[in-house]
Formats: sequence, structure tokens, C-alpha cells
Amino acid sequence: MNRVGFTSTIPLEVVVAAGRQPVDLNNIFIGGENSVQLVEDAEIVGFPRNVCGWIKGIYSAIRESGLREVIAVTEGDCSYTKALMEVLSLEGIRIVPFAYPPDRDRESLRYEIEKLMRHFAVGWEEVNRAKERLDAIRRKLRVVDRLTWQENLVSGWENHYYQVSASDMNGDPDGFEEEVDRFLQEAAAREPLREKVRLAYIGVPPVFPDIYPFLESVGARVVFNETQRQFSMPYETIDMVEQYRSYTYPYDIFHRLADILTETGRRRVDGVIHYVQSFCFRQIEDLIIRKKLPFPILTLEGDKPGPVDERTKIRLEGFLEMLEGKA
Amino acid sequence: MNIGIDLGSRKAKFALVEARAIVRLADYDTITFYKRFGRLDGDDLSLDLEGSGLFSSVELAGANVKVTGYGRNNLRLRGAGVISEIRAHVAGAIFQTGMRKFTLLDMGGQDTKVALVRDGRLEDFVMNDKCAASSGRYLENMAAVLEVSLDELSSHWEEPVRLDATCGIFGESELIGQILRGHSVARLCAGVNLTLVKRFLPMLRRFPSETVVLVGGVARNGALGRLLELETGYRVVVPGHPQHNGAIGCAVC
Repeated sequence: MNRVGFTSTIPLEVVVAAGRQPVDLNNIFIGGENSVQLVEDAEIVGFPRNVCGWIKGIYSAIRESGLREVIAVTEGDCSYTKALMEVLSLEGIRIVPFAYPPDRDRESLRYEIEKLMRHFAVGWEEVNRAKERLDAIRRKLRVVDRLTWQENLVSGWENHYYQVSASDMNGDPDGFEEEVDRFLQEAAAREPLREKVRLAYIGVPPVFPDIYPFLESVGARVVFNETQRQFSMPYETIDMVEQYRSYTYPYDIFHRLADILTETGRRRVDGVIHYVQSFCFRQIEDLIIRKKLPFPILTLEGDKPGPVDERTKIRLEGFLEMLEGKA
Repeated sequence: MNIGIDLGSRKAKFALVEARAIVRLADYDTITFYKRFGRLDGDDLSLDLEGSGLFSSVELAGANVKVTGYGRNNLRLRGAGVISEIRAHVAGAIFQTGMRKFTLLDMGGQDTKVALVRDGRLEDFVMNDKCAASSGRYLENMAAVLEVSLDELSSHWEEPVRLDATCGIFGESELIGQILRGHSVARLCAGVNLTLVKRFLPMLRRFPSETVVLVGGVARNGALGRLLELETGYRVVVPGHPQHNGAIGCAVC
């Protein structure tokens, strides 16, 4: 079996160096046609209703895809992953744990990466070569991002899609790079977008991706996707350990906030949408974010996949009206 | 002449305002209203306002109509403007109270909104999400369990019985448990009202103001306002027409 799944972004270079096909389980769950069904399937198996929809979706996506080996991020993501790992191992799936050290300690992180390398029987030479290959694509994604906020040629959804796909390069780095190339060519020929309100989207990617076109239909555009951008590893470093230390998502909220403050500042946003998943520990962090960010913030909560619901639309419209009133 | 319509989850509310004075207020049970006067036109739902008898054809022809609430985007009313609920409620509260600096607490059938108003402008707001246990529907359910009217439920605030359940449905069984322990109906009603206050208090605390303007159907619950004052020390102001506040806001926007 060539494919290997993972529950959250891991050092992709290791998987690519090993000649294995990476599969970000989040992307196949939410990108598929039957994501609602996947959540319900997990509930029928016995996952409680009041548990994160992503965990349930990932569980069913693994079963449906026939993957036999999964890298599970046991530190740096939520503790639900640990129980998910246990359920999967009970079902005979090979689990490879990976832990981001909570204190971002360089030596601990190097140890974790090397442990992963031992598992996949690859050395630093192959891994660094894979990094060079992936960095070439990541540099192009940085252009997509820049065209979003600086040139205003890229929609919020396109910015989301290309960057969120960087976690596994859609399982096919060469094919994905071609897709990015085609997109960049097309986008460069566009007329700049002019919206009334510029927004930052922070938090995990949305369980309702149509939030982006909805926002654009009511005069606002997302010009910063926090976590998705992190997946594209936008750091200028040739040192892979440093790269995964700079990566903000698995570490504490203050590390994330430093990145959010820099980016929201230079992108001239009018307001911030903080998306939180129902039953997620990150809902608690909302109170810190509200204290630390100097922008109006709308906190949105999503549970199951599907189109943006009426109540969320009411709140988004109210938020935009308020921002326009302040402008 | 302006007509404001607020299509809520429980009631459809209407206001006719002329020269900044309220001429008429009306409401319909939402389901009844949609059943009797709603009609699908292709994919569009149209409401027969004239057929409802709430407004004369002269009024409808001459009035500027604005709509808010759940049905606002689905509704096809010729020439009607759509505005957001939060804007409608803030406008209604400013119009009704004459105040320009307050925290607005709107408690409807399933939504609770808290908005910070400064210099007559909306500064920030929060809404409940994914759970309606802090809304009017909770009070309706609990009144049914206690076999009392909403008016009766709304009159008790002293010596509340403690109720803790997070879920509004489990709250019913908890209440039944307390009934079986022999507490008086008055204390049980007070307990229900206090539970509601505790549920929305974290939202309200985000935007502290000396004055809270309480609107929405739940504002008719006098005990709630009383308990809110006791819990927070804020001054609670209930305008003359709390349930029609959104419709009035639409008409004066």
C-alpha cells in the first residue's frame, strides 16, 4: 500500500522522500461529496454527537478510503486524536504517532522528525531533497497569497483552496504544481477585485467552505486565511526543523497571535472572523483572541459539513453592516 | 409612511410608522401567518400582505416596506428592502428609548443577541450559536412542564430553586425532579427565570453598560428583568413595545 494518511499537517517532506503518497485526511473528508454521511457513519459506530465533526469525518474517511497506515498528530492537535488513534488501531490500522513539542523545543522536534524518518526508512539527504522539491511549489503558493491581498486578483475561496491543499499537495506534487501554474497564469490576467470590506479568517479551516463565495456575494472578501497559509509553510528557511518550529498551528495561541498580528496589519483588514469548531478546545482561546486583536471580531461556530446556514448568514450580514458603518 | 416587518421564529411582527409616530402594531403566529398568506412562486416565497388584512391597500401602496428576520431573504415583497436583524433592533431601541449609549439585549424565540451601542451606533455584537437553551423557547417549554401560563411564569423571581442542566431538554427532567421534591410553583418559576439569566450573562458581560435595554418577546417577562438587575446591578430598561422592537426598527431605519 503506497498511500499514507495523516490527521493534521506533519513534516510532509518525510513522506514524499519515502516515495509514499501523502493523504491529508481532512481534505478527503471535507472535499468529498458525502462528508455529511461520513460524520453520521461515525456516530452510528458510536462516536458521541458532542464530539468534533472533523474527528468523525476523518475516522469514516479512513474507513472509506481503505488506507491502512495513518500518521496521527498526538501533540499539537486535539486530544480527540488520541482516542481516534486507539479506535483505528483496534480496527487494524497501522498508527504512526507524531508529536509537536508544546514548548517548540528544537531538539525534541528534531527527535520527532527523525523518529518519523526512521519509520519510513529515509535519511536527511532524501528528506532535504524532498524539501527543495516542495519548497518550489510553496514559493508559488506564496505568490497566490500575495496576489490575494496585494494585487486583489484572487478570491477568498481560491486563496483557501490552494493553501489548504499544500498540506498534502493533493497527493500529487507534480500535478498540483501544474494546477497552481495554470491558476497563476489565469489570475494574472484578471481585473482587480474591489470589495467594500476586507476580512481576515482565523482558526481552523471552515466546515462550510461556501462561506467564501457567500461573503463575496455580500460585498466582503477574505484576504488572509490564517491556518491555510500556515499549511503552505511560508517561511524562508532551508532548515526543516526550524520550518516546523515556525509553523504556528500546533503551538500555543501566543505564537499564533504573533503571526496573525503581523499579517492582519500589513493586509489592511477591516475585521476578523474567528471560526471555531463545535466542541473544540479552541473555543476557549476565543477569549484570548478577543483581548489581543485590535479588530472587530465575529466568532462563528460550525458543526456538521454543509452550506452556510441561515443563522450564520444573519450574523455575517450584521457584522459586515457594522464594519461598513465604522468605515 | 413606513411599514416594518420582523419575521421571527415564533411571531411575525408588523409596525406602521408615520412621521416618526407609531400608528399601528400587529403580530401573527409565524406558522399561522406563513400557512395562511404564504405562497410559493417558483422557488420564491411570496407573502400576501394585503390578504392578511393588517394593512389597507392605500397604506401598502403608499408605504416604504422594510423586512428583517429569518425569512427576510426568501421573501419576495415587491419594493421591500431587506435589513439585518441587528441593525433593525438597534434602530428600534434607539427610537423607542431615545437613548444613545446602552447595551441591547434582544431575547427572541430562539435567538439571543447582545449589542453594544455607543453614540447611537452599533459598536459590536454577539449572538447565541448552535443552542437555543438561552431563549424564549426554553421559557415556553418550562411553562408547559409546570402547567402555568407564560404570564404566571414571568411573575416570580423570589427564592429561585437551583436548576443546572446545560441542555434545555434535560432541563425539563431536572425541573420535574424538583417538582417531585415539593418546591412551590412560585420558587420553581423563579428558578427557571434565573437559569435563563445565567445562560445569557456571559454574553452580556462582554459589553458592560450602566443601562441594558431589554427587547424581544422575552422582555415581557418582568421577573427576568428584575433578576437581571439583581445579578448585575445594571439598570434594565424595557421599552414600550419590546416584542415589536425589530419591526419598529425596520420602519424607522
